[in-house]
Amino acid sequence: MNNKNEIDSKLVSSYNKRKKRKVLGAVGRNLGLTLYAVFALFPLLWMVLCSFKPDTEMYTTVFRFHPTTANYSAVLIGTDYFKAFYQNFVVSAFAVLITIVAGVPVAYALARYQFKSKESVAFTILSFKFAPEILVCLPVFLIFQKIGLYDTYFGLIWVYQLVTMPLLIWVLRGYFEDISVEIEQAAQLDGYKWYEIFLKTLVPLVKPGLVSVGLLAFIFAWNDFTFPLILSGSNIQTITITSLRYLASDTVHYGQVAVASTIAVLPEVIGCLFIQKHLVRGLSFGAVKG
Amino acid sequence: MPTKKSSSVNYNEIPKNIRRRPFYIIAPGMIILIGIMIPFVLAILLSFTNFSFKSITWHFIGLRNWISMLTDSEFYHALLVTLVYGVSATAVQMVLGTVVALLLKKDTFYSKILKVLFVFPLMVAPAIAVLIWQLMTSNTVGVLEKFLNLFGVFNFPWASSYRTSMFTAVLIDTWVNTPFILLLVLAGIQSLPKSPFEAAQVDGASAWFTFKTLTFPMLKPFMYIALLFRLMAALQEFAVIFSLSKGGPGDSLMNISLTAYMTAFKYSRVGVAMPYLLVLWLIINYSAKAIVKRQRKLARQAEGL
Amino acid sequence: MAQIELEHITKTYGDKTALDDISLCVRDNEFFVLFGPAGAGKTTLLKTIAGIEFPQKGLVRIDGKIVNHVEPLNRNISMVFENYALYPQKTVYDNIASPLRSRLHRESEEDVQKAVVKVAKMMSIEQLLDRRPGELSNGQRQRVALGRCLVRTPNVYLMDEPLAHLDAKLRHFMRSELKEMQSAFNTTTIYVTHDYTEAMSLADRVAVLNHGRFEQTGTAHEMFYLPSNEFVAKLFGEPEINLFPAELTAEGGSVRLKAFDGEVTLTPCADVVPELEKGAKKLDVGIRGNDIGFSFQQEGRDWIRGTVYANEPIGNKVVMTVEALGTKIRLVAPNNTKAELDQEVYLRFNEKNFIYFDYETQKFIVRSDMDRYLRS
Repeated sequence: MNNKNEIDSKLVSSYNKRKKRKVLGAVGRNLGLTLYAVFALFPLLWMVLCSFKPDTEMYTTVFRFHPTTANYSAVLIGTDYFKAFYQNFVVSAFAVLITIVAGVPVAYALARYQFKSKESVAFTILSFKFAPEILVCLPVFLIFQKIGLYDTYFGLIWVYQLVTMPLLIWVLRGYFEDISVEIEQAAQLDGYKWYEIFLKTLVPLVKPGLVSVGLLAFIFAWNDFTFPLILSGSNIQTITITSLRYLASDTVHYGQVAVASTIAVLPEVIGCLFIQKHLVRGLSFGAVKG
Repeated sequence: MPTKKSSSVNYNEIPKNIRRRPFYIIAPGMIILIGIMIPFVLAILLSFTNFSFKSITWHFIGLRNWISMLTDSEFYHALLVTLVYGVSATAVQMVLGTVVALLLKKDTFYSKILKVLFVFPLMVAPAIAVLIWQLMTSNTVGVLEKFLNLFGVFNFPWASSYRTSMFTAVLIDTWVNTPFILLLVLAGIQSLPKSPFEAAQVDGASAWFTFKTLTFPMLKPFMYIALLFRLMAALQEFAVIFSLSKGGPGDSLMNISLTAYMTAFKYSRVGVAMPYLLVLWLIINYSAKAIVKRQRKLARQAEGL
Repeated sequence: MAQIELEHITKTYGDKTALDDISLCVRDNEFFVLFGPAGAGKTTLLKTIAGIEFPQKGLVRIDGKIVNHVEPLNRNISMVFENYALYPQKTVYDNIASPLRSRLHRESEEDVQKAVVKVAKMMSIEQLLDRRPGELSNGQRQRVALGRCLVRTPNVYLMDEPLAHLDAKLRHFMRSELKEMQSAFNTTTIYVTHDYTEAMSLADRVAVLNHGRFEQTGTAHEMFYLPSNEFVAKLFGEPEINLFPAELTAEGGSVRLKAFDGEVTLTPCADVVPELEKGAKKLDVGIRGNDIGFSFQQEGRDWIRGTVYANEPIGNKVVMTVEALGTKIRLVAPNNTKAELDQEVYLRFNEKNFIYFDYETQKFIVRSDMDRYLRS
C-alpha cells in the first residue's frame, strides 16, 4: 500500500523536523540565557575576585593571580568603613521597625474598613514612592537644620519612612485582604476583643509576608543614596556615601574599592535569598501576586 | 433593667466607640505620613522665594524663579536629558527584561538557578553598582578594557566623554534594574492560563504569532506595572548619575534632579532650584496617572480573555 | 436559653437589599430552621442576629433586651459558618478550644480538654486533633467548625448549613445528635439549610426566605400541605410539585376545571368550590408526585395518555417523568417499577389532594379537607 508508506514517511520526517526545532530552540534559549547571565553576574564575580587581588597584580593580571586578604584587613581595620556599615545597618533596621509598628495597622485599616476617602488616601501613600527624593530632600534639609535633626539617627530614620512605609502598607494591605473576614468574625464570637484578634490571629497570618516585605524595605533603605548624601554629614556615614569617597579619590587601591563593594553588597544578596517567595509581590507593591 | 427611652438612642447608628477604633490604630502611621507631606508643601512655598544659603534674609519674590527657569536654556537641556535618560533606560530594560523572561519560561534546572541569581543586581545599591562598573571599565585595570583591547579598542572613554557618558549611565542603570522587569513579566507569564496556548498549538500557530496575539496582550497589564515603576524612577534618577560623574562631563548628564541639586548646593540658590523639582514632580505624577489608567483598562480586558 | 426577636430589620449593601423589613420571633429553646434558595439572605439574617452585620433599620432583641449596640462577643452566641472560618495556623484541638480560652469564657485547661475531647468524639474527629485545617478534607473541616460551635453552651446556636458537606450517613447521625443536644441543653437554635428533609425532620418551626423576605413561617407540616404560595410549594417535596394552569368553568350546573388547553376536564372536590368561586377564574393547580396514579393500560376514560420521558429509581422509590399534554409531569412510583423510554403510560390525578393557587398572584387559595391539615 503506497499510501501507508507515504503517510508513515511523512510522519517520521515531520517528527524529526519538530525534534530538530526543539533542540535548536533549547540551544538558542540556553545561549541567550547564558549571554544575559554573563552580563548580569560577571560584574559581581569580578568584584569579588578583585577584592582578593593584591594591588601589585592589578595592572598585570586578569584572572590568574595570587589571592590575598590584605585588602580586607586594610579596609576593615585601617579605615572607618566598618563604622559606616554599622551605622547603615542601625538606621535601616530601626527605620523598618518603626515602619512595621506604625504601618501594619494602617495596612489593616485600608484592607478592612470602609471610609469615604479610602482610595485617595491609599493613592497618596503610593505617590510618595514616586516623588523625586531630591524634591523632599531640599526642604527637609532646611527644616532639619532649623530643628537640629541634621546628621542625626532620628532624622534619617524619620526620612527613610518615605522609602519604607508606602511599600509596607501597600503590600501588607494585599495580604490582609487575602484573609477571609469570617475568621475575624469567628474570633469575635469566640469571645476575643478586637485588639486581641488583631494581634493574636491576624498578625500571625501575615507574618511570612511581613517578614519578606520587612527585608525588602530594609534593602531599599540600605541602598538609599540621596537622603544620606544631603541629610547627614560627618556623624553618620552610610555605606553608599562612603563608597563615594572611594570613587572620588583617584585611588590606586582598587582592591580596597572591590572590598568596599563586596561588603556593601553582601547583606542584601543574602537577604534576598530569604524573600524569594514574596519578592514579586513586594517589588510590585502588591500589584502582582507572584 | 431600667427602661430607657429608645427614642434617645438611635439603635441603627454604629456606636461611637466602635466607629472611632480605626482612627486609633492608624494614628501613629498617619502622623508619620503627614510629617512626610510637610516637605512637599514647603517645597512649593520655597519656589516662590529667593532663599539662599549665602544670604541671611529671604523674601517672597513671586513667580520670578519660575519665569527665570522657563527662560533658561539650562532648564530645557535638563528636561531633554531627563527624558532621554528616562525613556531610553526604561525602553532598553523593558525589552531586555521581557526577552529574558520569555527565555526563562521553560522550567529547567538551569532556569531555576538563574531565576534566583538574576535578582542579585537588583539588590545592589546604585552607587555601589557604579563602583563595580568603574572597576570593570577602568582604563588601567578594568577587565572590560582588557576585553575590548582584544578587538583593538583602547581607552574607551565610558563615563569621561561627553558622547559616551549617557550610554554608560544607561548601561549601569540597565544592569541594576532589568531584573525588576524580568521578575514581573515572568510572574505574569506564569499566571497565564494554559488553554488558549494549547488551542493555538493545536491550530498550528507559529511562535511569533502566538506571542503577538496571545502572550503579549495578556502580559500587557504586568508590563504596564513594570513600566510605571521603572519610568517614574528613571525620570528622577539621581544616585547613578551623581556617583558616576556628578552630571558631567559638561552637562551631558545633568537631568532635572542633578541640576536642582547643583543649583541648591553648589550655587546655593535654593529658591531657584525648587521649580525644577516641582516640574519634575508634575511630569511624574501625570505620567503615573495616565499609565495606571491604561493599565487598569488592560487588566480588565485581559481577564475577559 | 433565650428568645430572639427581630423587629422590622432591613439590611442593605449599597443599593442591594439583603433583608427587607424582616420581623421574626424565635421562641426560647426552639429549633428554628431558615430555609430558602441561595442568595435569599439566610446568612445575612444569621449574621445580623450575631451582631456581625449591622442593620440599617430595625431592632434585634435577645430575651427582650435591645442588643443592636452589643458587640458580638458579648451576645453569648455560637455560630457555625458556611465556609468553616477555621484558624489556619492553629491545630484542630486549638480551634475547638478557642472559645473556651478567650477572656470572656475562660475555663481551666482541664475543663477545656474534657469539653474538647467530648465534642471531638461526637464529631468522630478525635484522631485529627493534632492536624491543621489545611490538612483536612471539607467534611472534616465542617465537623471541626461544628465542634467549635458546640463546645460551649451559649444562649443561641446559629448554624449556617453545618451538615452540607457531610456524607449521607453522617448527616443522618448528626441530625439526631443535634436535636438531642439542643433539647438537653435548653439552647435556642437557628439553623440554615437548603435541604427540605433536614428542615422537616429537625424543625419546630420553619421560615422560608426569598429575596430578603419571608414567604411563610410555620411548621414544616404546614409548609408541605398548606404552602402559602407556589414558591414554597415548589421548595418542599421531592419530586417537585407539578403545577399546571386551569380555568374554572361551569358546565351543566356543576363546576369544572378545564386544563391543558381544554383537553382535560377535572372535577374539584365539593368543599373547595365555594372558595374557588370567590376569586379569579384562572388558577394554577398543584399536585404532588405521590398523588398521581399511573398504569400502562388505559384503566378508564378519564385517564390521561402520555409517554415515559425518564424513569429514575432513587432507592426506596422511583421518580417517573411523563411527557403528556405538552408538559412534563413527575410522579412517584413503587420501588420495582420498570418502564421503557417512550412507553405509553396513563395517568390519573387524585383530586382530593389538589392544591389551588391563584394564577396571577401565585398565592394559595384552598385545598380539600383543610381542617384536617390545620388541626394537626
